[in-house]
Amino acid sequence: MSDAITEKNKEQELKSLRRMRLIRALLPIVGLILVCVLFNFLTHGRLLKHWPLAMSQVYVTMIASMGVFFIMTMGGLDFSQGSILGLSAIVCCYLSHYNIPLAIVGGMVTGALIGAVNGYFYVNRKIKSFIVTICTMFLFRGLIKFLTTNSPVAGSAALVSIDSTMFKVICTSCVVFMGFICFSCTKFGVYLRAIGAGEKAAMFAGIRTDRMKFYVYVLAGAITGFAAFISSIKVGSVTSSGGNQLETQILIALVLGGMPISGGAMARFSNCVVGSLLYVVLSSGLTMIGFTTQMMQLIQGVIFLLFVALFADRKSISVIK
Amino acid sequence: MSEVRLQVRNISKHFGITRALDNISFDINKGEVHALIGENGSGKSTMTNMLTGIYPMETGKFILDGKEVHAKNQVDANNHGISIIVQELGTLSGLTVAENIFLGHEERFIKGGFRNTQAMNAEANRLLHEYGFDYIKANVLVDEYNFEDRKLIEIVKATYFKPKIVVIDETTTALSQEGREELYKQMNRIRDEGNTVIFISHDLSEILDKSDTITILRDGEYIDTVKSSDVTEDDLKKLMVGREVTGKYYRNDYGEKVSEEVVLSVKNVTVKGLIKDVSFDLHKGEILGFGGLSESGMHEIGKAIFGASYDREGEVVLANGTQINDIPSAIKNSIAYTSKDRDNESVVINQSIKDNIALPSLDDLTYGKTKFIDWKKVKNFANKFAADMSVKMVNVDQFVSELSGGNKQKVVLARWIGKGSDIVVLDSPTRGIDIKVKQDIYQLMDQMRKEGKSIIMISEELMELIGMCDRIIIMKDGAIKGELPRSRELNENSLISMMV
Repeated sequence: MSDAITEKNKEQELKSLRRMRLIRALLPIVGLILVCVLFNFLTHGRLLKHWPLAMSQVYVTMIASMGVFFIMTMGGLDFSQGSILGLSAIVCCYLSHYNIPLAIVGGMVTGALIGAVNGYFYVNRKIKSFIVTICTMFLFRGLIKFLTTNSPVAGSAALVSIDSTMFKVICTSCVVFMGFICFSCTKFGVYLRAIGAGEKAAMFAGIRTDRMKFYVYVLAGAITGFAAFISSIKVGSVTSSGGNQLETQILIALVLGGMPISGGAMARFSNCVVGSLLYVVLSSGLTMIGFTTQMMQLIQGVIFLLFVALFADRKSISVIK
Repeated sequence: MSEVRLQVRNISKHFGITRALDNISFDINKGEVHALIGENGSGKSTMTNMLTGIYPMETGKFILDGKEVHAKNQVDANNHGISIIVQELGTLSGLTVAENIFLGHEERFIKGGFRNTQAMNAEANRLLHEYGFDYIKANVLVDEYNFEDRKLIEIVKATYFKPKIVVIDETTTALSQEGREELYKQMNRIRDEGNTVIFISHDLSEILDKSDTITILRDGEYIDTVKSSDVTEDDLKKLMVGREVTGKYYRNDYGEKVSEEVVLSVKNVTVKGLIKDVSFDLHKGEILGFGGLSESGMHEIGKAIFGASYDREGEVVLANGTQINDIPSAIKNSIAYTSKDRDNESVVINQSIKDNIALPSLDDLTYGKTKFIDWKKVKNFANKFAADMSVKMVNVDQFVSELSGGNKQKVVLARWIGKGSDIVVLDSPTRGIDIKVKQDIYQLMDQMRKEGKSIIMISEELMELIGMCDRIIIMKDGAIKGELPRSRELNENSLISMMV
């Protein structure tokens, strides 16, 4: 008798668990469609008319958010992305006077090096990732300010001449596609999720967790270094605020995309793609309606908190590293 | 004749979807030592942990001397006259002996917002003297005392205020003979003062000897309460297991010759603070057991072989000369390991059964020679080995966190059987697992042994070591104390005498 009851409870509990997972997977996509329709209506069709303009912001966010997506999947955090983007863009602009491919590589190497600094302190010195990356955020922001004290660092004319929507779409698609293949079709993705879901157990299953964690930070830095190239061809120069607040944009984008804050097995690649689209539509929509920047920050903060509160997987969260 | 002290009424408790206690009701009297027995996972500790406020209540109530008690935490429980001595170390490092004894009750010594440390130390010293533990000093950090002395400090902490009920949860296994005698003395004193001891132990002869009344739990259900004088050890076993324990439970062969072929040698392995200078050989088709107290270093042996020890000295070498120094190379060389800490170190708890089973074998589950994973192969692989191990599940996409302890263990075993490991290190493989799954695991081990695989079994359950192993190595204080071959004559006492 009592067995039958608990059996039934079990079924129900499993069912509700699965329903929750489905909602979590579908909500961002439904949200994206809703937000598109809503803002198109509110702006009297201006959003759709100025589609390319709205989209011009998505490339950098989407590329950079992919790296952070990898980091968050394995349970880490990264607040230094904005500074990585700024510094990489400076290197990229500087080197663009010599050679464009060199500028791309230079930007990516710069990003990778900062990622390596993050990784070193996180993995080898065992400091929590958000502490490390907040430190590097300030450190490299300071360096950016120093390098741009007298004047913004300008890119070459050749760099700016590459800029076209087509080029940026192709670059972004390529990067995202490669990321998707690695995450969904190789053991890279499985390992990342395993580390996020239970690092110690992952280690005991034969994953070199420390090495993996280090290289993912390097990888995320390099990816953002590439995003810096895309940003440079668009803007043409870097000021002291280059890449400012990118880290928060990425974080909000990922959370809007349904990314579990603690990472793990529930992370899906669609989180970073849908999330960054959602974020860009939301922010350009709000701008078009006429909200001020200050107001936007407030709204973003509220939305962010709301999403985290709603979707935090409290059962599996102990500490965010 | 005797008055009822505690009425346990309709207590139930669930952990997620696992039922730990199911509608338990019984009475505990004044002035008795009341033993709680049952297999691992039968709910003994769950019940006492609820009584003492370590776990929150779910349904049901505890009625102490006619009044309902609902302890919110251990200090609250103490205030109601209930205290507990736990299985693990219950003293806090970094605090002095006196601070530990009066933890949560410092208000006695506080005047004008300041704590009178001198008065507290004096009171603690007086208590220690009263108990006859004069060599323990109140103002010294507990860290300076060994495990045994720290247990004595816990005894003082749990009993000095003359509580109505003292729970002693599997404390004796960790104590030497002298420590036990001291504990028994205190138990008798509490009883003679008219108070009650709830005594949890795995050692049935100890239970029969020291307790007045015995309550048996099985799989979270109340079975019976009996007088110790009316029953024998075999009666208790039958009540705990629910049927006669037949020979097929463990393997029943004796005198079979183990192959001379050495598959793995451990040479002078030392892990600082845990094991020192341990050497032994593992033979083909052998089950080698490791027994000892839980602090004896035996659990670290498993980790050392698997390359998971932090800062290990010495060598772990395979027959072909390959050295094992880290986990990936251990796995590559066909070594498997299941940890005692199943939820943290064995299964990736918040991940699917499928991923858990396939994790070390992903390289073999790709499209041809590419690096791209063939998810269909992964699914079939997981399904096959989950079915082989008869894992109770909805499907392989279910998360491991939703499974019971026994099924989690089966998932881990399915992983390593799928990987085809030849040397399997099992640390406490049946810990907290019900009898049916236990039997499955024993049979699997027997079968693996016959297939020529070698098994190292580390366990705190002496009966399963005696029942399953070809050889048992006993550890004490991080070193090998002795070795016992498989024989019918072996019993728990011969192991215990070496362990302590």
